[in-house]
Amino acid sequence: MAGNAPPRRISASKLFGILAAIFVLIFSAVVALLALDQHQVRATAERLQEETVPEIIRYQRLARNLDQLNHEGERVFSASSPEERQQALFLIMLVASHPSILEHPKAAAIAHDAERFLGETSRLSKSDPTVLKARQPEWMRLSKRIHLLVDDISVQGANLATVDLDHMADTMRTAGLKLLGALFVVGGFILLLFLLLRKYLIRPLQRIDHALSSLDVEAAAPEFPHTRLSEILAVEDATVQLYKAMIGSEAARRELELLANRDGLTGLLNRRHFMLNAATEIARAKRYGHPVAVALGDLDFFKRLNDTYGHGAGDVVLRTFANMLATSVRHSDLVCRYGGEEFAFLFPESTVDQAHVLVERFRQHLAETDIRLADGLLVRITLSIGLADASHVTLETALQHADHALYEAKRLGRNRVIVAPAAE
Amino acid sequence: MNLRLPTLRAHLVVAARSLVAAAALICSLAHALELSVAIVVYDPAQVSAQGTRVPVSAPGADLMGVADELMREVCRRINARCHIAYVPFAEILPGIESGRFDLGFGEVLRTPDREKRFAFSDLIWRSSSRLVGAPATAREFAARLGQPVRIDTLRDARVAAVAGSQQQDYLERVAERRKLTALAAATPAETIDALRDNRADFALLPIRAGYSLISSEHSVGFEFVGPAVADHGLGDTTHIVLRKQDRKLRLAVNRAIAEIRADGTFQRIMQRHFPVSLD
Repeated sequence: MAGNAPPRRISASKLFGILAAIFVLIFSAVVALLALDQHQVRATAERLQEETVPEIIRYQRLARNLDQLNHEGERVFSASSPEERQQALFLIMLVASHPSILEHPKAAAIAHDAERFLGETSRLSKSDPTVLKARQPEWMRLSKRIHLLVDDISVQGANLATVDLDHMADTMRTAGLKLLGALFVVGGFILLLFLLLRKYLIRPLQRIDHALSSLDVEAAAPEFPHTRLSEILAVEDATVQLYKAMIGSEAARRELELLANRDGLTGLLNRRHFMLNAATEIARAKRYGHPVAVALGDLDFFKRLNDTYGHGAGDVVLRTFANMLATSVRHSDLVCRYGGEEFAFLFPESTVDQAHVLVERFRQHLAETDIRLADGLLVRITLSIGLADASHVTLETALQHADHALYEAKRLGRNRVIVAPAAE
Repeated sequence: MNLRLPTLRAHLVVAARSLVAAAALICSLAHALELSVAIVVYDPAQVSAQGTRVPVSAPGADLMGVADELMREVCRRINARCHIAYVPFAEILPGIESGRFDLGFGEVLRTPDREKRFAFSDLIWRSSSRLVGAPATAREFAARLGQPVRIDTLRDARVAAVAGSQQQDYLERVAERRKLTALAAATPAETIDALRDNRADFALLPIRAGYSLISSEHSVGFEFVGPAVADHGLGDTTHIVLRKQDRKLRLAVNRAIAEIRADGTFQRIMQRHFPVSLD
């Protein structure tokens, strides 16, 4: 045991404070990551709104303007008069001059080609109307190029939104995974916290509760397994100290009880305690109709012994007789030092005859016993006993009967047992 | 009695204050909603007509119709009572600056220099510039220059432009280097008059104005010459112009423009007056 160093103590508030700080850090990091994603989504949405959508609109306008160019080109060929053809040509020039077409190289080139071709066609058709039919196939090829460009531009415009939306969807997907991760982290941390709380706080507190609720002087001292939390250790120590204090109190109580109930010289019950217990026993016997007997014994010529050998010799004789009684009576029998050299007995569940056998045995045993005094001298002493039935009378009456019988025993020569006559 | 008098007086004071505040609010609103609007004209006759009795066939009547309807729609949407004045382009910017006009509409291009002096609404439409001239003149200059006529390579020519416009500004900037003679005219129609009177070889005009003129009876015999240009300050976005300090008015005008575009009013106005909806 000496080799086992006690585990280092940790403060619960410090431990859980550190855990809380770690949790806050981890959670803050997760929140920061999510905030980053949210920022990206917001930035993408803003870009979509402020840049991409206007750009898409720009592409749509360009496509529409090219469509318009194509439409007016058709009008050049289908016009019913040179004036109408000229108006269509002016519109072609207007559309071809629009900045949306000028800033798009492919659109600018094709618009320039269309304007030049249609202008030339319009001019030539003034002198030769058959030119229109002759140049129609070339216009169809040019018109097809314009159509293809319109399609390309429309697709490009649509793709602009797709790129941003894909990016936003990716970010949202990542954010979703992070959120799931955060859920696991938080869940894991709460589980860990619960396990730690259970191991280091709840279980020890349950053990302490159990120890406190079953704390008893008759039970063994409470024992607790090693724990590291200083607060729990303090409560466990306090519980053990409480147990020790209870044990101390119980010992003191027993000591006091002994002093209050026992005779100081002989260790037998004192008269007050005997009277209390005997009255209870007699009441119980009457209640159940069981027999009970009482006896009063007195050491013969005890005063002469004291006068001859001194009070110390008397004390030795009294202690010796008390020890003899303590080893001879039944566990249920009550014996007390009634006063001086006088002793009282109560025999529960015993008839007078059964009690007579017992007290006769005491008398005979004492009469045959050599008692060694302090100076080595051996003395013998006899005992007179008055016995009475207590089954149907009060304790006082029974003792009175026993006392009369004892008197009779003394009168008839001592060292004998006299049974009081049965009460009328 | 002693208790009731102060209560009654307090109520009267509150009521009087509320009335004064409401009156002040109504006055301020009424004052704020009185706007003076300048709309550019394309022909000198439109100044004297002031928006009435302008024949549909008059030069620039279609563009004036667009401007007139758009501005009236903007005024209606911002709950403003607008007094419209039809003025040459050169009067719009100084008029805004001096406080004569609150709003100006006239294909005003947004340039860095103008941005220092004025506030601009959101986009109305985009514009570029293009030369207008007689086909014979164009062929003559192409032969002389040895290449098709282009505004950025044109030399030794007399070119008319609207006074105060970016086109005039451009011509003055390159005039000396390219030996060009810049002729300022009050309105686009007068640049065509200059061509017809042989006071100018070409006119440099915004494309819509150029188209409006050459497609009208006023300018028969003239057409676009060379490609359009949108750089050198000759093309970009056009806007309604305001004073820089009229921030709330600008926001209100922008909201109105957005609404007009969103509900299709812009397209309808354009289609009513113009064959194509180029914005």
